[in-house]
Amino acid sequence: MKETIVDAQTLDEATRGKLLSLFEGRLSRQMLLNLETCSRCGLCTEACHAYASMPLVRHAPAWRAEVVRRIYKKYFTAKGRLLPRLGEARALTGSALEELGEAAWTCTGCRRCMVYCPFAVDTQQIMSIAKLLLIGAQAEPEILTMLADVSVSRGENVESIREGFLAGIKRLEGQVVEKWKSQAGRTPIPTEVVGADMLYVALAGAHSIVPAAAVFNAAGENWTLSFFEAVNFGAFVGDPAKTRIILERIVSEALRLGVKEVCICECGTAYRVARQLSVGQPFEVVSLTEVQARYLRQGRVKVRRLPGTFTYHDPCQIARNAGVYEAPREILRAVAGEYREMSPDPLYNWCCGGGGGLVAMGEDTLEFRMKSSRVKADQVRASGADILVTACENCHTQLEDLNRHYGLGKEVRFLSALVAEALEAD
Amino acid sequence: MTTLYSLILGPMLYLAVGVFLAGTAGRVWRMLRSPAFGVSLAIHVPGQAGRKGRRGWISVRLLAVRDALLLPTVLRHNAPLWAVLMLFHAGLAVLFLGHLELVADIPVLRSFPHGAFTGKGAVGLTMLFCLAYLGARRLGSPVRELSVPEDYLLLALLFLTALFGAQMAWARSWFGYETVTAADYRAWLQGLLAFRPEAGLAGVAGAGHSFMLAAHVFLANVLLMVFPFTKLMHAMFTFALNAIRRGWPA
Repeated sequence: MKETIVDAQTLDEATRGKLLSLFEGRLSRQMLLNLETCSRCGLCTEACHAYASMPLVRHAPAWRAEVVRRIYKKYFTAKGRLLPRLGEARALTGSALEELGEAAWTCTGCRRCMVYCPFAVDTQQIMSIAKLLLIGAQAEPEILTMLADVSVSRGENVESIREGFLAGIKRLEGQVVEKWKSQAGRTPIPTEVVGADMLYVALAGAHSIVPAAAVFNAAGENWTLSFFEAVNFGAFVGDPAKTRIILERIVSEALRLGVKEVCICECGTAYRVARQLSVGQPFEVVSLTEVQARYLRQGRVKVRRLPGTFTYHDPCQIARNAGVYEAPREILRAVAGEYREMSPDPLYNWCCGGGGGLVAMGEDTLEFRMKSSRVKADQVRASGADILVTACENCHTQLEDLNRHYGLGKEVRFLSALVAEALEAD
Repeated sequence: MTTLYSLILGPMLYLAVGVFLAGTAGRVWRMLRSPAFGVSLAIHVPGQAGRKGRRGWISVRLLAVRDALLLPTVLRHNAPLWAVLMLFHAGLAVLFLGHLELVADIPVLRSFPHGAFTGKGAVGLTMLFCLAYLGARRLGSPVRELSVPEDYLLLALLFLTALFGAQMAWARSWFGYETVTAADYRAWLQGLLAFRPEAGLAGVAGAGHSFMLAAHVFLANVLLMVFPFTKLMHAMFTFALNAIRRGWPA
């Protein structure tokens, strides 16, 4: 993380005022309900993978929420001003910011705790205040802000990246043709197709583009590849303005091309953000998993079964937080030699431990990610499957790290790659 | 002493109800005038997708009310806690009706014959057990570390209010059942409703166990006054939050 602009205890009045103004800006109706309602029953503690793996109270969702709630009580409630000790109201100081940092960057925003809470308190929402205050104090993880700024800059300078982007796509087309000759079509990876039915928004990297292209082409989809990467680092770092700007690039492109659907690649946060913030647009936001399941249902692609025993990790932002449960199972029922559920109820699937920007922070968070996800490793091991499948880039990276760290001996695969591999030639 | 009783059983009770109503309305008003977040914050349950249209939203609301009243998430993850919470809240509902019956007959409850507070303190005792359980649970880790002073003070306040309330049946027997009758309570409470607090005061403030009534009402007054400013507001906010979890439109 960056060196903060505050020391451990003090915070100058101007900075505190600025941070409290940021805080106040987040006090929507929903946020007030979240901040006003916890009874501290502690039921959420066992819901958190970090607490379940390392039973320290500071990893309990209610504790994380209290770190923010105490500051809220101090500055935004009469009780906190008059009787601060009753609710342990806390001044916004440098050390309070440190606590906010620990709370925010040990929470993956999986919202499993919300499934346990009798009042449905949304810890991820409350953590968004913590992240915003850290940005305001320039104490957020620098890498995430840098990545968000690169995304913003890319949107502002499309013309300057056009040549390089198209040249890169040409090279990837070779890979599509080489592996999927019969499905590749005349333009294996189309770009800038005005009037296309679907805009596919991928991640940087062949793994996110080549297999997806093979399946789109096999299904005869009228699609076009976005100039922009789907990942929204603005959402990871917790900056609402940058989140919107980064998404806006894709929305503008979709409107310019006149597409009916925007298909988001295997990136949980990108999918949830795009779906949430694109309500009312003249296009639908769908996940790659939903699209591929639709092709199978409609008989637009033919697949064979792949050998092995498979299990599926439901990415929190795609399943619990966006409702895509059935589509991946439809796919796996079609392509998996044998399929085993990882959790009896996917709603309660453990988070992989890498969400909320933790994976994007790389080595800085590796030790915590591994320790806090022991329960996930146990769950994967207990599935008895050989091949661990998921549909989110973050989850994939984290699961590979867990696989190595805990010696699980699994093969970690993207769901879309399985579909591409299972494609049968016409 | 009589002056103190008359203050507690009259002006303070008005003040408490006033603070409760104004405070609660103020808190709810603050919520309503705050901007909406603008996007769905639903938790999606497998097999429950596609609740759209008017009928869909009605079912979402019904599910949210069920979640708020029956606490299915607590039942799934901590059955003993669920049993205690259900017992406690059901007890609250029964006591609420019992207190209403002290003011006036409720026709639907008159369908079966019963006296005032049929349980004779048993409901209050059950609630004391529940509150003791919640208190003991709060003293164990990790709930202890999560707790703030307000949590203990509210538990103590609820416990004492229930204790002095539940004791009333026994206290009446200690000092003679006929010293304060249900009719005396009704006269006092109806006097309060008619803004003539002194009208029925003599019947309830001059008995041997009046100090227990005064203590019960004093504690209940305090409870009413702190209600809007504490986590007790979950009684209202839980419906909205559960609706949001169920996909209530932002």
